[in-house]
Amino acid sequence: MTASPHSAPAAVALSTEGLVGTVASVPTSVLRATRFRPRHPPRFILAAGFLAMLALVALGPGLFTRYDPLTGDFSETLKGPSWVHPFGTDRLGRDVLARTLYGTRYSLLIGLAGMAVSAAAGVLLGVLAGLRNRLLDEAVSRLFDVLSSFPGVLLAMLVVTFLGQGMANIAIAVGIAGIPKFGRVVRAQTQLVRDADYVTHAAIYGLGRSRIFLRHVLPNVLVAVPVIATIYIGNTILVVSGLSFLGLGPQPPTPEWGVMLAESRDVLRVAWWPGVFPGLAITLTVIAFSIVGGVLQKRFEGRIA
Amino acid sequence: MRKIVPCGAVLTTCAVWLAGPAYAAPPDLAPKTGGTTTWGVATEPSCFDPHRSSQQAAFFVARNYIDSLVAKRADGSFAPWLATQWSLAPDGLTYTFTLRDGVTFHDGTPLDAEAVKANFDFVKKPENAANAAALLDRYARAEVVAPNVVRLILARPDSSFLESVSNVKLGILSPKALAKGDLCGGGPALAGTGPFVFAEYVRGQSARFVRNKAYAWPPGYAAHAGPAYLDGFTIRFLPEAAVRAGALASGQVDVIEGVQPTDAPLFTDQPDFTLLKGPLGAGTAFTLNVNYTRAPADDVRVRRALRDGFDPEPIVGQAYLGTVPRAWSIIGPDNPAFNRALVGAWGRDVAGANRLLDVAGWTGRDAAGFRTRDGKRLTIEVGYPQPYVRDNREVLIQGIQAALRKNIGLDLNLRIITAGEYAKGNATGTWSIYPNTDNPSDAARELWDMLGTKGFLYTNVPNPDPEITGLVDEALAATDPARKRAFTDRIQVLGIEKAYIVPLFAPSWFLAARKGVEGLGFEAGLDSPANAYDVWLAGE
Amino acid sequence: MPARHLTLRILSRLGTSLVVAWASVTAAFVALHALPGRIEDILAGDVDFPGLREAIAAEWGLDRSLPAQYADFLLRLAHGDFGTSYVLRRPVIEVVGSQLRPTVELAFAAGLLAVLLAGGLALATAGRGRLAHGLASSLELVAASTPVFWLGILLLMAFSFSLRWFPVAGAKSWNALVLPAIALALPTAGLLAQVLREAMEKTLDQPFVTTVRARGVGETAIRIRHVLRHALLPAVTLGGWLIGGLLGGAVITEKVFGRPGLGTVTLGAVLTHDVPVVLAVVLLAALIHVAASTLLDILYLLIDPRLRTT
Repeated sequence: MTASPHSAPAAVALSTEGLVGTVASVPTSVLRATRFRPRHPPRFILAAGFLAMLALVALGPGLFTRYDPLTGDFSETLKGPSWVHPFGTDRLGRDVLARTLYGTRYSLLIGLAGMAVSAAAGVLLGVLAGLRNRLLDEAVSRLFDVLSSFPGVLLAMLVVTFLGQGMANIAIAVGIAGIPKFGRVVRAQTQLVRDADYVTHAAIYGLGRSRIFLRHVLPNVLVAVPVIATIYIGNTILVVSGLSFLGLGPQPPTPEWGVMLAESRDVLRVAWWPGVFPGLAITLTVIAFSIVGGVLQKRFEGRIA
Repeated sequence: MRKIVPCGAVLTTCAVWLAGPAYAAPPDLAPKTGGTTTWGVATEPSCFDPHRSSQQAAFFVARNYIDSLVAKRADGSFAPWLATQWSLAPDGLTYTFTLRDGVTFHDGTPLDAEAVKANFDFVKKPENAANAAALLDRYARAEVVAPNVVRLILARPDSSFLESVSNVKLGILSPKALAKGDLCGGGPALAGTGPFVFAEYVRGQSARFVRNKAYAWPPGYAAHAGPAYLDGFTIRFLPEAAVRAGALASGQVDVIEGVQPTDAPLFTDQPDFTLLKGPLGAGTAFTLNVNYTRAPADDVRVRRALRDGFDPEPIVGQAYLGTVPRAWSIIGPDNPAFNRALVGAWGRDVAGANRLLDVAGWTGRDAAGFRTRDGKRLTIEVGYPQPYVRDNREVLIQGIQAALRKNIGLDLNLRIITAGEYAKGNATGTWSIYPNTDNPSDAARELWDMLGTKGFLYTNVPNPDPEITGLVDEALAATDPARKRAFTDRIQVLGIEKAYIVPLFAPSWFLAARKGVEGLGFEAGLDSPANAYDVWLAGE
Repeated sequence: MPARHLTLRILSRLGTSLVVAWASVTAAFVALHALPGRIEDILAGDVDFPGLREAIAAEWGLDRSLPAQYADFLLRLAHGDFGTSYVLRRPVIEVVGSQLRPTVELAFAAGLLAVLLAGGLALATAGRGRLAHGLASSLELVAASTPVFWLGILLLMAFSFSLRWFPVAGAKSWNALVLPAIALALPTAGLLAQVLREAMEKTLDQPFVTTVRARGVGETAIRIRHVLRHALLPAVTLGGWLIGGLLGGAVITEKVFGRPGLGTVTLGAVLTHDVPVVLAVVLLAALIHVAASTLLDILYLLIDPRLRTT
C-alpha cells in the first residue's frame, strides 16, 4: 500500500482503499470498452431509480405539489397527514410534502456542491502530490494530515463560523472536510499510474511529459473520482444535517431536510410528521447513494479482476 | 405568614397568576422545611458572577446566592432588603443607604458599608471590565458614612439608579470573594448573602446549592422569614427542550424552565404536574429594531409598510400556540411603564402598507413576486446572531417573512449571523434589523439601550434621530416619577409612529413542576423565575 | 523485522506528528483572528460602556500585534500553558481537562459497542444465505444512513421517556451512558459491519478455508480464528477514520443527551469565539488523530505479518 494505512476511506458504504491500484495497469481504451456490463442487481436498479426520481423532483419540485414551501396557512398548523396535505403541515402551516420535495433540491445541491469542492481540491492536490516531486508530496500529504486531524463536524463548524451560514458556505465547509479523503486516493492512484508500464512505454516512444500526463495519467486518475464521489455525497448530506441540528445549517426558511428535521424536534411529542418525512428522505437518499456507489465500486474493481 | 400573603407564594406574581392560569398552593397546607429538588434549565451560564455575566440565564441562578440592597416589587415600587431604608438628596445625586444589622456573607464576613463600597468600586473600575458597569455610567463614587451607612454619589441624575441597585447585576458579594479575583467558575468562593450557598459546580452538568442556615434577611416581598425551606437544590443543564420535558414527565427532575408551547399541554391541568406562566414581557417585548438610517428603511413609508403589512396576532398565536400575546409596545405589558394607549392603536393595514410602498416608488415586481424600484428588490435584512437564537423566535420571524412577502411583496431577509458578523455590524453601525428583548431593568434604561445615542444599538450609528434620543436622555435624567412616566410614554408612541421599532410579542417564562413542589414564582425585577427561597415540598 | 526499524519508524512518525499539530493550531489561530468582527466587540456582546472594549482588549492582550500574540501563544504553549478562556474565565487546561473524561468514556463505550455489534453481525451473517445477508445489510445501511441526532432523539423518546429504563441526561452513572453510546455507536457499527462482512466473504471463498474445513475444524472456529483475522485489515483502516467520526459525533450526541464533555465545550467555544478554548481543542484533536494513526500503524503490523517486510 502506498497511501499511509490510516488514510481513511470516504466511504459511507465501503472502503475506497480498494480502488487504489486497480486501474493502474489498464489503458483508457480498455476502461471505455468495459464501462457497461449487462447485469444489474435489483437493489442497484431500485436505488438508481430512486436517485433518478430525486433528480427529477429536484429539477421541478413545483410539478409535484401545488403548495409553496415557504408560505404557510396559519389556520392549518400542525395538521396530521390527510388527502389535502399527504405529509401534514408544520408549525407555520407549511405543507410538509412541498417542503420535502423542494428540500430535495437544496439537500442534493449542498451534497453535490460540497462533494465538488472536495473533489476539485482533492484531485488537484492529490495529482500534485502524486507526481515525482518529493517536497511537494511531503507538503501536500501533511496538509491532508492537518485537514483530517480535525473531526469533520468540528472543521465544518469552524468554517461555518468563519464564513457565516448559508448554502454556499456550508457546501464549502463540508467540502473542505472531504478534501483529504479524495486527495489521498488520487495521490496513490497517480503514483501507481505514473509508474505503470504503459506510461513508461509512452515515454520510451518519446511522447512529451505534459502529453503523457494529459493523455495517459490524468484520465486514469480521474476515473476513480465518480465512484468516491457517489459514496461521499451521502456522507455530506449527513454532516449537513448535523450542522443544522447544531443551529449552523442553511438559513431558514430554506426547506433543506436537515433544517426541517432539526426544526421538528421541538414538536416531536405532539406531531411526528414534520420530522419523520424529511428524516426518511435523508436516510433513503443516503442509502441509495451508498448502494449505487458500492455497486459502481465493485464493478470498477471487477473490470480488472 | 401565609395569611398576609394571600396568593400563596411570592407576592410579585400574584397579579400574573390571577390573570393567567390559576395556580395556588392548597390553602390548608402549611409550608414544611426539608427536602431537595432538581431543576432542569436550558442554558448553562458561562459565568456565575453577577457583576460579570450578561446572560439572563445566569441571573436567576445567581439570585439564590446573591442579595441586593433593595428589592423591586411587581408594581415597580421598591422594598427593603439588605438596606432597611434609603433616601435621595434634593440635588438628585446622592443616595444614602442604611444597612440591615446582623447580615453575614457565606464566608462569615459581616456586611458593612465598606463591603458595599468595595462592590461598587469593583464594578465601576474599567480595568475589571465588569458588564454591570453599564448600569453605573452616571455613578461617580461611594462613601462610607458610618459602619452601617453608605452613600452612593452620582455624576448626573439617573432616574433608573434605584432599579439598577435592585438588579442582581449590582448584587453584593463578599469583599473577600471580590479580592480573590475571578469568580465566574462559581462554587463556595462566590460568596454572597443569599438564602443558598453555592456548594458545587460541575461544568456541563449541574450546580448544587445548600441552605444558608443563618439567613434572616429576605427581601420585602418574600412569603416567609428565616432560612429557606429546602435543604438544598440542584440545577441540571438540559439544553434540548424535548429532553427537559421528557425529564420532568418521567420524574427525573422536579422543575423545568423553558417549556416549549407544544409541550405545555403535557403539564397543563394534569394530575401530576403544574404549569406556571411568568409575567408577560416584564422587561421589553420581543421587537424588531429597525435601523432607520439605512436604506431602504431610512424611508419612513417603507418602515410603516413593514410595521402594518402583517397581522402579528395569528402569527404569534400559531408560533406559540396561544400561550403568549402579541405586543403593542417595545415595553412589555406587565412592565409598570407599559403605555396602554398603544393597545389597538396601530398595525394590520395591508392596503395602507401597499399604498405607502406604491407612493414610495416600489412599484415594480420581480419574478419572485417581490416589489422593486429601479430594478432593485425591496429587501431588508434581519440579522439574527446565532448564539441568541432561541425560543422559536426564528420560527416566528419566518412566519412574518412569509406574510410580508404575500401581503406587500417585501423581502424580509432573515439571516442567522455569527457573533462576529453581529459585532462587526454593530461596531460600524451597519446593522439593518436587530431582533431582541432587552435584559430587564428600568424602562428608561431599556429605551436608552435600544434607542439612545449611547445605547448598544445606536452608539455607532451616525446621526440618530435627535428627537427620540433627546427624549430618551430626558427620561433617564427625570428623577420625578410622573415626569419620567410622561417621557417613557411619549418615546413608546414615537417609536411606533416612526416605525423605528416593530414589537412582536410579549415573552414569558414557563415553568413546569411536578405536583408537590410548592411556592414557585417569578421575580419581577429579573423577569425570570424567582429563587428557591420560598419553595417547599408538600406531602411525602 | 528488526526492532530498530520499528522504533525509527515510530520516531519519524512522531516527528511529522508534531509538525501536523503545529500546522493545525496555526491554521486555527490565523482563521480565528481573521474572522469578521473584533474579538473585543464579540466578547462585549450587547454590553457597551466607555472603556469596556479597551479593558477587554488589554485583559487578553488583544491590543498587541497579531505576530506578537502568536509568538506569545506559542511560547506559552511550549510551557504547557493553554491560557485562560475568554468567556468562561477559567484556565483552559481546567475547562478541557474536566470535560475530557465524559467524552472519552462516551467515545470508548461507543467504539467498543460498534466493534462488538459489527463483529457479531458480520460473523453471524457472512456467507450465510441471502435472507440473513439481506436483512443484516439493510439494517446496517439504515444505521449508517440516519443522522445521529435523530437516532438519539428517537432512542430518548422510546427508552427514557416512555419505558423509563434509562435516565435522560447527565454523566453521573453508568446507565446514563447507555443511550448516548448506542446512538453514537449505531452508524459506526453499520459501516464497520459492512466492511467486515465484505472482507470475510472474500476470505471465505479462498482455498485455504476449504483446506482448514477439510481438516475438520468447526465452522465457528474457522470464522473466528481464521477468517476474522484476515478481514480485520480493511476494518482497521476504516477504524482510524471512525475515531475522528466518534469525536465529531460526540459534539452532537452530547447536545442531544445533555451530557457534559468536550463536544459541549467545543460547540460553546466556537459559537462565542472563545479563541483559547478552540485552539486547545484543535490541538487535542490533532494529538488524538496522530496517536490513533500511529497506533493503527502498529496494529497493521501485528495483524498482517506480511507488511513487516516493507
